[in-house]
Amino acid sequence: MTLGPFLFGAPLALIGLIALPVIWWILRATPPTPKDAELPSLRLLDDVDPREETPARTPWWILLLRLAAAALAIAGLSLPLYAPGAQSGEDASGPVLVVIDDGWTSGQRWGELRNAALTALDGEDRDTPAHLLLTAPRSLNADPAERLNRSDFEARIRSLQPQPWAVDRAEALERLEASSLRPARILYVSDGLGPETATDFTRALAAKAPLSIYAATPRGPAAITGLTSAADGVTLIIHRTDPANASDHFISALTLDGAALATTEAGFAAGETDTNATFTLPPAALARIARFQVTGSASAGTIWLWDSADRSRRIGLVSGDSTAQPLLSDMHYVRKALEPFATITEGDLSALIAENPDAIILTDIGQIDPTALEAVTTWVEEGGALIRFAGPRMAASGETLVPAPLRRASRAIGGALTWETPQPLGSFPETSPFAGLPVPDDIRVRQQVLARPGPDLTRRTWARLEDGSPLVTADQRGQGSLILFHITAGPDWSDLPYSGLFVDMLRRAIAAGKGEAISDEEGLYTPTLSLNARGQLQQPSPIATPLEASEFGIVEPSETHPPGLYQGPGGTRALNIAAGERLIPMTDWPTSATLLGDAQVSTLHLAGPLLGFAGLLLAIDLIIALSLAGRLPLRRKSATAALLLLCTVPLASQVPIAEAQGFRFDPVSEQREPLPKDIEAALAMRLAYIETGDARTDRRTMEGLNGVSLTLFRRSSVEPADPHAVNPETDALDVYPVIFLVLPDDPTPLSETAIARLNAYMRGGGTLFIDTRAGGTIGQSGFEGLTDILPGLDTPPLAPVADDHVLSRTFYLLHAFPGRYANRPLWMEATGTAEQSERRGDGVSRLFVTDADYTSAWAVDNRGRALYSVDGGDEQREQAMRFGVNLVMYVLTGNYKEDQVHIPALLERLGEEDGVGNFEDGPEGEVIP
Amino acid sequence: MSDLATLRAEAETLARQLPDLSLQAEAADLVHPGAAGRKRAGSGEQFWQYRRYAQTDAADRIDWRRSARGDEYFVRETELETARTILFWTDPNAGFDWRSGQSGSTKADRARTLMLALGILLSKEGERIGVLNGPRPASLGKTAPDRLAEDMLVKGSDALTPPKSTALTIVASDFYDPLDAWRTRLAPLAAKCRHGILLCVSDPIEHDFPYSGRTKFSRPGAALDRIFGRAETVREDYLARFAAQREGLSALAAQMGWVLVTHRTDEPALHGAAALLSALQQFGVKA
Repeated sequence: MTLGPFLFGAPLALIGLIALPVIWWILRATPPTPKDAELPSLRLLDDVDPREETPARTPWWILLLRLAAAALAIAGLSLPLYAPGAQSGEDASGPVLVVIDDGWTSGQRWGELRNAALTALDGEDRDTPAHLLLTAPRSLNADPAERLNRSDFEARIRSLQPQPWAVDRAEALERLEASSLRPARILYVSDGLGPETATDFTRALAAKAPLSIYAATPRGPAAITGLTSAADGVTLIIHRTDPANASDHFISALTLDGAALATTEAGFAAGETDTNATFTLPPAALARIARFQVTGSASAGTIWLWDSADRSRRIGLVSGDSTAQPLLSDMHYVRKALEPFATITEGDLSALIAENPDAIILTDIGQIDPTALEAVTTWVEEGGALIRFAGPRMAASGETLVPAPLRRASRAIGGALTWETPQPLGSFPETSPFAGLPVPDDIRVRQQVLARPGPDLTRRTWARLEDGSPLVTADQRGQGSLILFHITAGPDWSDLPYSGLFVDMLRRAIAAGKGEAISDEEGLYTPTLSLNARGQLQQPSPIATPLEASEFGIVEPSETHPPGLYQGPGGTRALNIAAGERLIPMTDWPTSATLLGDAQVSTLHLAGPLLGFAGLLLAIDLIIALSLAGRLPLRRKSATAALLLLCTVPLASQVPIAEAQGFRFDPVSEQREPLPKDIEAALAMRLAYIETGDARTDRRTMEGLNGVSLTLFRRSSVEPADPHAVNPETDALDVYPVIFLVLPDDPTPLSETAIARLNAYMRGGGTLFIDTRAGGTIGQSGFEGLTDILPGLDTPPLAPVADDHVLSRTFYLLHAFPGRYANRPLWMEATGTAEQSERRGDGVSRLFVTDADYTSAWAVDNRGRALYSVDGGDEQREQAMRFGVNLVMYVLTGNYKEDQVHIPALLERLGEEDGVGNFEDGPEGEVIP
Repeated sequence: MSDLATLRAEAETLARQLPDLSLQAEAADLVHPGAAGRKRAGSGEQFWQYRRYAQTDAADRIDWRRSARGDEYFVRETELETARTILFWTDPNAGFDWRSGQSGSTKADRARTLMLALGILLSKEGERIGVLNGPRPASLGKTAPDRLAEDMLVKGSDALTPPKSTALTIVASDFYDPLDAWRTRLAPLAAKCRHGILLCVSDPIEHDFPYSGRTKFSRPGAALDRIFGRAETVREDYLARFAAQREGLSALAAQMGWVLVTHRTDEPALHGAAALLSALQQFGVKA
């Protein structure tokens, strides 16, 4: 039954509405149950006749509440449905066919399409079957002749997902014809695009049965249709279907794991369907971009997977130098030049070849080991780029693996014994990959190895000096190439490594490696990640089959070739669904068809809300009835209080703010505004550590300092507050007596500001305790690289802590200072070397350096249980803890403790004069101050 | 009904907060003269002391025989010889041992507390205290409050039989029965005891009658329900009757030569005790 835009599933239930007046009459007549009350003074009223014995009326608003609940319940039971666009069931007496465009263009508005499809059976008879025809082709298509009843149909529609490829309406029509289905009515839920196929399709459908159409044309930017990349940026072409209004959108560039590297704006002018979005990014950032996405749009079309050919390259470095002076070695220059653009691996030549990098760079390697030589040759012939730098050793030997035969000696230009002056660079030959690079005037080459002149030498030369002698020569070997720089990679022989040109030359030389050398027409690419229609990357379906390299750009994405990333011999290639796509909205619908608007395909099932509301009203009524009868446990006062509370919640939330403002003048206040860190640190003695940025190490240090603080608190009169983590660049350091720097396994160097502030801290009397934690590493001093991490730290002369140093006696008597590792050296400021005048503070060492990993030995969890194992077990942990106590005591008390050592002697001397001797020494084991 | 320990503790607390009680000797004479020496000056047969004449003393109090022996005037004082009996009675009606949700203790408990506090003070003064129609006769001394407390908690009889000898009687109830009934009940007692106090303890809800709507009332101790369709309509009536009852009660007390002390259970017990005490003292003066 229909009533305006309302449909009723069980109209007979509405007869129940007749009962409402009866309910009203009954409710009016029945008095509410009396309240019970005890009253001893009732005796006074014994002879009083009640003036009005008729029961109190049920209040009108309770009547209204109950009637409304009843009416709502009855209306809800009649299963009403709000469906403005529903067809009345009279003219459709047969099956309904639902045709859905489930191609990638539907992804953006899939929810609306699905809801439209769900309304297909509204207003039909209970047992009208539905048939489903999906236009995106799949390898196993559902038969449109399959009858679906109401619930199956709903389940099917709800589980439908759009496909990340295009629709094929002609094929769908064929399927429909083949099924010989005779529908009584057709609902076509369309993406509203592609008039060239949609026109015929809708005409054919309209010819079969009355047709209604719901078209959801994608809104906003529908697709990224192309990409052009330049050296310093990328330009994307964004396409939309509706050119009416100007609009702005944002495009993000994402890395493979989804982190956004950059965002740019793309604005459509009114009347335009295409616009460009340009990213200007440094090459290093470009190399990390894996895909572009229209922000806020989830569809396969609005994602562009990028398989740039100048994707970051993998490079192997092999050096002939010793690593004694790493900053002066040739390799340093190469690494610095390439670090932003390539993934660099260093190591042994044969190991590198096993990793199959794009290019291998050899600096001044003379003779290549014969076994490796064979592997290198094979690798080059398979497409690797071998880049070699000359050098003294090469000049002395090497004939193998060079692009052109070399002379046996190097040529020094501009030395004391030569007539010639150092040569500048000449221009690059036209055929050279370096062509077009600017040549700075100030580069001078002082020494080089010389190629023996030969017929091919000119062809093989990529760069030469002004006098014509080759500077870079190269040769094809198989699919790969050999490139030789006739100078060293360091500045020994030339100024070239100092210039930016060096970087560009290296990059172009590396580009000769596999990525571009391999021809596109070969190789089989297997899908590794595929894109679904919602624009999410996922594992490809088992149906997805590999693609020939030559097919990229030709093949239409389909179920067997889903859009996504394909892995092949030349790296990854992307198949983008929207590449070159033009989306034209369909306008020429058949005249007989009914076009449905958005409102007409939305239905609301009202039964649930109505019944729920009726239930709510009844619950309210129950509460009211109980409270009227006095059966509700809350008294009137508390109920009022609860109401007031509800009203004042927003007010109350503001109160603490007002209170907090007055906090500083109110020491009793419980709610404390956190004090600034430096003030807090100044109020109580506490230990501190420098945050290294490595979360695990920092946590370990925190736990360690907690442990030693706890021990101090329990055993001594030092009662430190919770340790602080400090940032040496920003926080006030002077408020801490000692700062711990516990280094993680791969520490990052501290900044200049940090070092400068630490120096000031130590000059001002602070103590810095450095623990490298490397004591457990076999065969290392444990202090390697400390100068790298703390460059410029004002280090006083250091000495191992002497056995009789006061540190061993400040609280406990200690014979060794074990941490997590026993027998590790502990260095402190050498006392003997510094003059008395130079000793800062009160003679406390400014610096401790160790590698015994004390913090791990001290570390306890919040229940005081030890966290990490210690070499010597609990006994050593206790020793380490005692060292911690001694250390803090030493730092806090300065030379006072040292002087205490002499107190017996002093007292003895005093006693001789005044006769007040005989002071007892403190108990054994502790020196009592 | 609260237990002995609570009752005793509350009463002791209360008694400690009250000023010491001293019944006027004149009053005591009238009640129960000449029982025992009180070891201090007062009215009695026995000589107590000569004291110097003070300006406030009446001239006829000078003992001339003694004064003639010297230059100064002396006043002869006799030893105080009194111990009178104070008897307490609590209404055993179920309606009296009742409290509404608005007050902390039942009316009977409150009455007992007040009376025991008074008893403690009286026994310190050497008075004889006991329960009217109680299992034990009134007693003196340190154990008297204990015995009083124990006897109070024994459920007594409804009857108000007059004591054998004259005594000061304190009758605690809510006095909701018709005034005529009370007059009849109190008449023999009033005939025997010239002085007494009516302690009327009431619950706040009985003053306010805060009921409205359809209400079923029941009276504790009476198996009788009354339903008022609209309780608010009888409120006026009730309040008028309540006031009339009080007035009548106060008139009744005056008629008998007694004093009416009213107390509400939502007031602090101290107020009640103080009122009781002042009634007792004023009572002594008057006599």
